[in-house]
Amino acid sequence: MLIPNKKIRVGYVIMILLMAANLFNVLLKSPMHPAQQWAQKIFYYHVPSAWVAFLSFFVVLVAGIIFLKTRNYFWDRVGLAAAEIGTLFTILVLITGPIWASAAWGKAWNWEPRLTTTLILFLIYIGYFMLREFGGAPERVARYAAILGIIAFIDVPIIFMSVRLWAPEVQSHPQVEMASQPAGIMSIFFFSLFTFTVLYSGMLWLRIRILNLKAENQ
Amino acid sequence: MLIHLLKKEFLVELRSKEISASMLTFGLAVILIFSFSINVSPAVFQKFAPGLYWIMVLFIADLGLHRMFSHEKEFDTFSMIISAPFDRGLIFLSKWLAGTAFLVIAELLITAPFFLFLQLDIPVQWGRLIGIIILGNAGIMAIGSIVSGLAMRAKMSEVLLPILLFPLVSPNIIACVKATTAIFDNQLFATWQTWFQLMVTFTVVFGLAGYLFFDHITEE
Repeated sequence: MLIPNKKIRVGYVIMILLMAANLFNVLLKSPMHPAQQWAQKIFYYHVPSAWVAFLSFFVVLVAGIIFLKTRNYFWDRVGLAAAEIGTLFTILVLITGPIWASAAWGKAWNWEPRLTTTLILFLIYIGYFMLREFGGAPERVARYAAILGIIAFIDVPIIFMSVRLWAPEVQSHPQVEMASQPAGIMSIFFFSLFTFTVLYSGMLWLRIRILNLKAENQ
Repeated sequence: MLIHLLKKEFLVELRSKEISASMLTFGLAVILIFSFSINVSPAVFQKFAPGLYWIMVLFIADLGLHRMFSHEKEFDTFSMIISAPFDRGLIFLSKWLAGTAFLVIAELLITAPFFLFLQLDIPVQWGRLIGIIILGNAGIMAIGSIVSGLAMRAKMSEVLLPILLFPLVSPNIIACVKATTAIFDNQLFATWQTWFQLMVTFTVVFGLAGYLFFDHITEE
């Protein structure tokens, strides 16, 4: 059998069904935005990706704090798994954001504060993986990665504040528009948010499981 | 104890002059490249000058930080320092304060050629400019000392340091450039007060973070 573990098999089926329902909702059920038309649909994927990315970096922070307190390597693996998945979703945010922006604003990149903060965070996490790769002894790397995860999270609000003040003319981030959307849009949006959170939890659980198995074999 | 650590940093530097000499010559080389690569009128240069200045500072800070920590690695002095019975946060404080001081000293000698070669007018509020430069340096060195501590014993530490440092320090650089631009344009303090506050916040937050985390960084 392709996937021998029953729990994982059930998880995959649930995930595929949820994602399919989400896609169906977004493409066929959500009302067409009068001004943005199809371009607006990317938001059902862009915003949940951003939410999951930042949630994931929050998990890195929590795992880092617990690791430094307890020195239990399970939490190091949680941090690594969350950092990997967070970076993956950050890439999705950085791809989907400019796609929407080029349709809505006519320009793929205009230093929108949220997107800029995401880009900086992405660069920090590239450094995080390099530190993990080249940091030396595994015990030291785990400690350093935990500290970097905490430092990165502390930096996020300062980065966001500075970027927002840096280019005050770029303020048309779409979240303001989202709040004034009709219920048809909002319910589908929240379903997508839920689906992505479930997807994230599943991915995180699987990744931690793989890292645990790897650690057991070493 | 902090006094002893600071004394050690200054004594090592006074004898080797490695950090200040490398920062100084590299800074001058950067100014030369700026002058050649951006060949515009002094009036236009005046607009770019704050950004160029902080790019230069970031480059030399990176160089200085790398020298400061690799020195400890080369002679394995770090393991001796951490074997001494005192709060390891103090090691961070000494690195941070000494690093800021070295950067300020290098800038004392670089800033004059920067204004001279790029044919810039000296700002009216030059006193405030000095204050902003020192504060900006303290911010860069606070996060820089943490990152150097993390990268010090890694392979390719000289590559890892700027890769980690530049994105992390970006809010401070934005604030430094904005505040310096306002001073160059002779604006009132009230118009750039927010940037000043941001710089103070950044410096305090990462100064504290460094003090708290250095214990974990220096663990053997």
